[in-house]
Amino acid sequence: MPCILFEPFSRTPDFLEIMITKQFKRHSVLPGFGLTLSFTLFYLSAAALIPLLTLFWRTSAMDWASFLRVLGSPRTLAAFKLTLMTSFLSALINGAFGLLVAWVLVRYDFPGKKLADAVVDLPFALPTAVAGIALTTLYAPNGWFGKCLYKLGIQSAFSPVGIVIALTFIGFPFVVRTLEPILQDLDVEIEEAAFSLGAGRWQTFSRIVFPMLLPGLLTGSAMAFARALGEYGSVVFIAGNMPFKTEILPLLIMTKLEQYDYSGAAAVASAALLISFILLLAINFLHAWSQRYQEV
Amino acid sequence: MSIEVQRIVKTFGSFTALNGVNFRIAPGELVALLGPSGSGKTTLLRIIAGLEIPDSGTVLFDGLDVSSRKVKERQVGFVFQHYALFRHMTVFDNVAFGLNVRPRRVRPSQEAIKLKVFELLKLVRLEGMALRYPSQLSGGQRQRVALARALAIEPKMLLLDEPFGSLDAKVRKELRQWIRELHDKLHMTSVFVTHDQEEALEVADRIVVMNEGKIEQIGTPDEVYHHPASPFVSHFLGSVNLFHCRLEGGKILFGNAPADSGKTEGKQEARNATVYIRPHLLDIEYSAPANGNYFRAKVKSINAAGPLVRVELTTEWDALVQVEISHERYQYLGLKKDAAVFAIPKEVKVFTEDYSI
Repeated sequence: MPCILFEPFSRTPDFLEIMITKQFKRHSVLPGFGLTLSFTLFYLSAAALIPLLTLFWRTSAMDWASFLRVLGSPRTLAAFKLTLMTSFLSALINGAFGLLVAWVLVRYDFPGKKLADAVVDLPFALPTAVAGIALTTLYAPNGWFGKCLYKLGIQSAFSPVGIVIALTFIGFPFVVRTLEPILQDLDVEIEEAAFSLGAGRWQTFSRIVFPMLLPGLLTGSAMAFARALGEYGSVVFIAGNMPFKTEILPLLIMTKLEQYDYSGAAAVASAALLISFILLLAINFLHAWSQRYQEV
Repeated sequence: MSIEVQRIVKTFGSFTALNGVNFRIAPGELVALLGPSGSGKTTLLRIIAGLEIPDSGTVLFDGLDVSSRKVKERQVGFVFQHYALFRHMTVFDNVAFGLNVRPRRVRPSQEAIKLKVFELLKLVRLEGMALRYPSQLSGGQRQRVALARALAIEPKMLLLDEPFGSLDAKVRKELRQWIRELHDKLHMTSVFVTHDQEEALEVADRIVVMNEGKIEQIGTPDEVYHHPASPFVSHFLGSVNLFHCRLEGGKILFGNAPADSGKTEGKQEARNATVYIRPHLLDIEYSAPANGNYFRAKVKSINAAGPLVRVELTTEWDALVQVEISHERYQYLGLKKDAAVFAIPKEVKVFTEDYSI
């Protein structure tokens, strides 16, 4: 005789449960959603969010007057101005030459192309201090390049020029690596189409190729700019580090820390952080803008 | 405008893409360059457009040598297989591009450009799409934008590289009928490249059949289909059954069985030959016809889906033969699998083996 051994589980799921299931539990063949998401959240919090929040918390211990006094001091302002100017200049230089290098690496075949392509990544791989020492040796008044430049009246080390050189070096890969895939995707047919419609070389470049590269160029340059803002290791050797003249922002923070002026350092750092956030936002907007005519 | 190419040779490294190609296209003709991939048809089209420079040979437009002219000076409307639309520009700007890049003194006013663009968008039936980006259009619509863009510069000819190649079957069929209508309206000399024989047969006035860098045959769709000039053409255009056999005294010997050929052009001595018979030019009977024009076979499979019934036969000498018969004939015969039958060629095409391409 058949008998029921246990009640089948028949509770109706409540509203919240349905919502959660619907929104998050997309059934996928790839397992581990819960585990990987929690690790991602943990990692982001531990590595990025919490340290950054601590910085703001530290700064908030100061009152507004002393906060503004630290930021408004001539030395801080000079450092801000110098850092922004040199970073911007180096981003501009990297934009122009990065485009050139990416173009050559994608469009032409030449012996040693693979090697040249690998060299682009060198600034990423090289410890920044090593880069700083190498650049200083080259651009110092008695260095190989420095000798010639000093004769021409260009003070290539221990000056803002030196800072720009160092920042250009470390920001270089960003533009090249952002533009390379875009250039690879750029079909030669598109240029041929422009030619067949009667456009000249310059018209084809300025109206077709450049507008398609522009978003990538801006994104790459903005990343190089953001990287330059925080660069410390390679710059301190070549900059000369004279307050008001060649003292960059990260160095100023370092100096304040060495003088046990923790809240002062935190104030400058949080201002720098704010600038970085704004830049990050700008990069994201640029990226969204560059996708505006892509497939939806 | 007429197009003439003379002795065109083009090599890419060790690969010969075109090996001495000659032909002439009359003004107002719609010509298809048909061939398998690697036959050189696209290269030929690009040479006519000036996008590729031949190693030797000349291209004449209306009898005038244009070989040394650049693309932008040739005034050809070129439509690319993958549309090559400017994806950062709206449909309007794409179509207007050719007019906007003209030197200032010959550039129409912005008003005139606007009128022209909308006139063209109307022609390609995309009036409402002027402000969309290419990514917001379907494949067929993109191809029509590419066409409007090419027509905007008032080209002397239209060159289309596999214009329907990347579209799905239904859109493809609609678009090619529409292209034919458009051509009949504009009467512009047009050349299009295709590897799809059906497309070439349906759309073109004349077909240039190409293989391995050479022209196999030039002719109307009717000519190339019914009177193929070479084994390649008969093989490439439509399905065909191939037989290796011997010719003896005006008779074709399939395996051992003789069949009347009727078309051996007086070559009486025995020789090897290749015979091509199209599936619809074979009939099936249960009894051998009196004239001896048949071969024996066995039914291997029957596929009755579609307008014709496709029957696969196994011959005595173990070759497979495709036959297409009407549904009426199929029902009349009451054909079954494994039935022993006689296959009767209604028309054969013979190429003897000393035939040289």
